[in-house]
Amino acid sequence: MSDAVAHDPDFLAEEVRRYHHFITLALWLAAITGAEIVLIFVPVPMPIILTLLSLMSAVKFFAVILWFMHLIYDHKLLFWIFMCGMVLAFATFAAVLNLFSADRIDTKWFS
Amino acid sequence: MSHDSHHAPVADKMELAPERSDLGLFRPDRTRGLFDWLTTVDHKKLGIMYGAFAMFFFLVGGVEALAIRTQLARPDNDFITARMYNQLFTMHGTTMIFLGVMPLSAAFFNFLVPLQIGARDVAFPRLNAFSLWTFVAGALVLNGSWLFEFAHLAGWLDGFAWHQALTYTDFAPANGWFSYAPLSGTFGQANAALQAPRFTGVGTDFWIIGIQVLGVASLAASFNFICTIVNMRAKGMTMMRLPVFTWMTLVTSILIILAFPAITVALIELMFDRQFGANFFNPSAGGQPVLWQHLFWIFGHPEVYILVLPAMGIVSEILPTFTGKSLFGYPIIVFSGAVIGFLGFAVWSHHMFTTGLGPVPTAAFSLLTMAIAVPTGVKIFNWLGTIWGGRIRFTPPMVLALGFIWMFMCGGFSGVMHSSAPADAQQQDTYFIVAHFHYVLLGGVLLGLMAGLYFWFPKIFGRMPNAGVAYLASGMVILGFNLAFGPMHYLGLSGMARRTHTYHAGNGWETWNLVSTIGAFILGIGVFIAFVNLVYTAAKGQKCASDPWDGRTLEWSLPSPVPEYNFARSPVIAARDVYFEHKHGVHKLAYENDGGEAGVHMPSQSWFPLLAGFGFLIIGFGMPLMSMGVPHAGWVVIAGVGVMFLGIWLWALEGPGGYMLKTPANPLGTTAAADAATSAH
Amino acid sequence: MSHAADASHAHAPTSTGIDHKKLIMWLFLASDCMFFGTLISTHLLYRKLYPTGFTDAEGHQRFVQNLFNIELTSFSTFILLMSSFLMALAVSAMHKGQVKSFRRNVLGVIFFGLIFLGCQVFEFTHFYHQGLTIQNSVLGSTFYVLTGTHGTHVAIGVLWLILLYFYSFTGKLTGHMAGLDVEIAGLYWHFVDIVWIVIFTAVYLVEYLGPSGFWGNGLPLAK
Repeated sequence: MSDAVAHDPDFLAEEVRRYHHFITLALWLAAITGAEIVLIFVPVPMPIILTLLSLMSAVKFFAVILWFMHLIYDHKLLFWIFMCGMVLAFATFAAVLNLFSADRIDTKWFS
Repeated sequence: MSHDSHHAPVADKMELAPERSDLGLFRPDRTRGLFDWLTTVDHKKLGIMYGAFAMFFFLVGGVEALAIRTQLARPDNDFITARMYNQLFTMHGTTMIFLGVMPLSAAFFNFLVPLQIGARDVAFPRLNAFSLWTFVAGALVLNGSWLFEFAHLAGWLDGFAWHQALTYTDFAPANGWFSYAPLSGTFGQANAALQAPRFTGVGTDFWIIGIQVLGVASLAASFNFICTIVNMRAKGMTMMRLPVFTWMTLVTSILIILAFPAITVALIELMFDRQFGANFFNPSAGGQPVLWQHLFWIFGHPEVYILVLPAMGIVSEILPTFTGKSLFGYPIIVFSGAVIGFLGFAVWSHHMFTTGLGPVPTAAFSLLTMAIAVPTGVKIFNWLGTIWGGRIRFTPPMVLALGFIWMFMCGGFSGVMHSSAPADAQQQDTYFIVAHFHYVLLGGVLLGLMAGLYFWFPKIFGRMPNAGVAYLASGMVILGFNLAFGPMHYLGLSGMARRTHTYHAGNGWETWNLVSTIGAFILGIGVFIAFVNLVYTAAKGQKCASDPWDGRTLEWSLPSPVPEYNFARSPVIAARDVYFEHKHGVHKLAYENDGGEAGVHMPSQSWFPLLAGFGFLIIGFGMPLMSMGVPHAGWVVIAGVGVMFLGIWLWALEGPGGYMLKTPANPLGTTAAADAATSAH
Repeated sequence: MSHAADASHAHAPTSTGIDHKKLIMWLFLASDCMFFGTLISTHLLYRKLYPTGFTDAEGHQRFVQNLFNIELTSFSTFILLMSSFLMALAVSAMHKGQVKSFRRNVLGVIFFGLIFLGCQVFEFTHFYHQGLTIQNSVLGSTFYVLTGTHGTHVAIGVLWLILLYFYSFTGKLTGHMAGLDVEIAGLYWHFVDIVWIVIFTAVYLVEYLGPSGFWGNGLPLAK
């Protein structure tokens, strides 16, 4: 994307197309956040809410990394590098959270 | 980038006209001697400095080890106090791992990776210098704790009010290299000054900030190396043509960037507990000290592979060279290395079997740990397959590499033993564990790194180490090592706990402890002889040819010492083991039409990586001073952060600069003129 | 000639075609996933063990739901998401070489970033007056350190963008490298945003589920 490329009409058309994607995406992000806030006060069973919240959070997360952070336009190696860190973090700390549980802790030291 | 910064190509950087950076300051390009070493961004010089610092700290850690072994030579000994003993084993472990093995591996990464992939430097030369100086800052902080400890013992600190107010006066770290909470942490309620009572003195704070700074250095270096290996390969150097050492550098770097954040956060949490009265690991407020163990080993287990994979890479380069055969099962070796790295993240809890994880996690971590033996075994068999039927030359690097395979296997066997949780319950915290990890880290990693030093020293300095001395040193190291650590298996299984200051006579431990101490001294003298041999070689050794071993990879195609631009013309790679193919096979090295009179682009030198690293040194001393209660120490920390940001800011603003350096028209430099005729295209 | 040679170095094709700076930034972000993963999981596992909340200075047990202010958090979340949007526009403007448009957008990002930080300062002060301190509970320790570390990331991002904003007036922020430099800063900014997307759900929203909290009974609080 040197100066020569910057004045290339194809390149500019691509940037304009992205510009419109960004605006649409920003509206969606705001809408999903609004829905999240409403959702936590809706009287439906907790597992359903929790699933929906996780899903919406994941949608926002991937929307930002794919469009705002250009992963959908860039070399796919970058996507896999990031997934590597993200999946490893998720898996490791899911395991850590499951290794701790209240019924395995002796409370005599602090109660 | 200002246009006046571009010079006509020069043959030597001293011919450059003085040049100002974008900041208006003169760039230190035309320096020699000390200033050149302080401002250099040349990966080869940085590698040599990494190596020199690492060898120095190896000797420091070795002296600490010998003091420990002297104390344990006979029962009821009082050679050193119990407190000093705790500090020595803590600093011995920390020094060897973070200041010995990791920087020595980094020395090889720095020196070799660009040469092996056909590049002229790393992706970010100034970041590379920053890594070195930040490492040096961390090393000085950790060992600076000794200065305070000795000043305290000599009574020089007694007059200070803050010193009289201290509850604990141990100034050197004494928690063991993994600094388990709650010993390293706090208990009870924080007071008005936001500090909760602690179990240990300021030594722990030195350890926390020292490791934190070293982590920054390792992370920065690893980002750089991944970038370099992925992005700067010469034409035709596909991933599956990379030398195995470069592959292992890549896997190690990936492990570092994914494992170090866990310890970074754990250290931040521990620091908040100690400095600001937080409760992350404070049991009286409901904190879970076992969380420290989890976070530490989520980092700590990959760290084990961070230590050993580079040595495996080195051995995978040496064996083919001295058997005259290509590496047996190259793709399998590479794949096994990656699998070891990946599985390394899934086994951390095997360090914690005795904390009571519950039956399902224990079984799972036990099985995964056993699974790691498979790719490791695959590597061993591939190395044996490489030797099999080869025309073996028993040069010093080869002797050490063979020692590596044998000793590492012994360590691997005892490792599989305590992957079984019931057996581990017997062996936890005994000398059996000490024997195991020294077989892996000393018999494995140290022998591998020494083999690498003897193997590449002729390339680095153009001088050949004395072979007689090298054989003597290798023999002493292997013999002394087995005498020192073999008996620890018996000691451990007969109940001797690790980190014991002393023991009574009559437990049946006297003989083996004495043997172990004698072995440790033979080992220590052997390592010392080897290092003296190497340092002498670097200065005055006999000059040798550029390819004394009939090498296989790209670095051997270059003159020794390697010129600062590395490749006079960029190579084009047509095969794995490209230089061996070039000499003996059908695929010849070709060269791109760059360099020559037009010159190659060299990065400018800079003061600012050093300045940023210096900021970390100030932070590193400021934090423990704060913990000691020294007045206004908080300002020292703030000043350190300021210096660090200033360094990075000026570094960003000065512009990358650079100049053009003429290279010989002959791509192989001056030493292999005959080859040039066959390689030109 | 030497200028052309230097330019060719700057544009030197890489083995993968990815710019070094972009690659190293993504490597850093992958690493930072583990960093924030550790912090978030520390917070969550203590929430799991001690769902009750904390004990304030008067000795009253306090629930997290009654402490949190969902209106404020939603507002600052919205602000951060919109700053991410403006950042994407700033990067786009720089790619097109429109420095003025870049400056306008990046000023917006800086402004929104400062609002977010202001909300966080307000939130911290408010919680402190409600009795939650870093010393009096594990909840205080994990909450302040987690959100404080995120806030530090935001503050570093704001500083970075302010420096870029002023740098754009020197006339040196042009061409391919400028687009890249702004894009790198943008990647960092968006990452800080996605970390907040996770924190918003995992730390704030789930606390409102169910009358006794999402985490079940757990252990009693210390003292």
